[in-house]
Amino acid sequence: MTRSLALTLNALGVCAVALVLVVAFAAQLLLNELPCPLCLLQRIQFAMLAVGPILNLRFGPRPSHYAVSLFTAVAGAAFASRQVLLHIMPGDLGYGSALLGYHYYSWAFIGFAVAIIALAAMLLFDQQFRDDGKPQPAGAFARAAVWLVIALTALNVVSTLLECGFGACPDNPVVYEMLKGRP
Amino acid sequence: MEFSALFLAVTVVMVVAWWGARTLALALFAATLLASIATYLHHASDVLKLSF
Repeated sequence: MTRSLALTLNALGVCAVALVLVVAFAAQLLLNELPCPLCLLQRIQFAMLAVGPILNLRFGPRPSHYAVSLFTAVAGAAFASRQVLLHIMPGDLGYGSALLGYHYYSWAFIGFAVAIIALAAMLLFDQQFRDDGKPQPAGAFARAAVWLVIALTALNVVSTLLECGFGACPDNPVVYEMLKGRP
Repeated sequence: MEFSALFLAVTVVMVVAWWGARTLALALFAATLLASIATYLHHASDVLKLSF
């Protein structure tokens, strides 16, 4: 795999993270399903998955940058698996609505597992790590993807503040704490 | 509140990774990852409202 192809795949990886954040926002705003604390932690881990690809796009592919995303994906899978186990008993309806038969935390677990496999697959290709000395500035597509994921993560700062306020986030949030009592 | 702070920290890590120094970005990433794991462990110690 050439360095150029690896960078393109990293830009696509940033887009994939942005897509996950958009879908999470869509469920929150269109279905009015507020994310629970564990759901927010999984969303944070998804956002953190983008840090490795961003480092690759800026400084060139390095194994340590993939390790950054691997640590995040393992933590995210652990958080998602805890929520899956919380709702595993027969008769438990789960938290929130299901998408294509799976709840969001089940999809999150699948997403983190796919990320771990994809990152391990990327690490198989050594040629991308050979620095030819030529600087390879990020293209317009990569720059747009990075801007998008940074903007979506910043929007989550605002939405989480509106949802939880300055106190502890409720276990089962149903209203935006900061907008309570407003018409 | 802690989740807003974590999202803010991730935003800062991304901005530093894109415009700042690599070492600083890696250090901030490590701190944010540890903070998110600490937040998880804090909530994991809550009494669970189980369905059985």
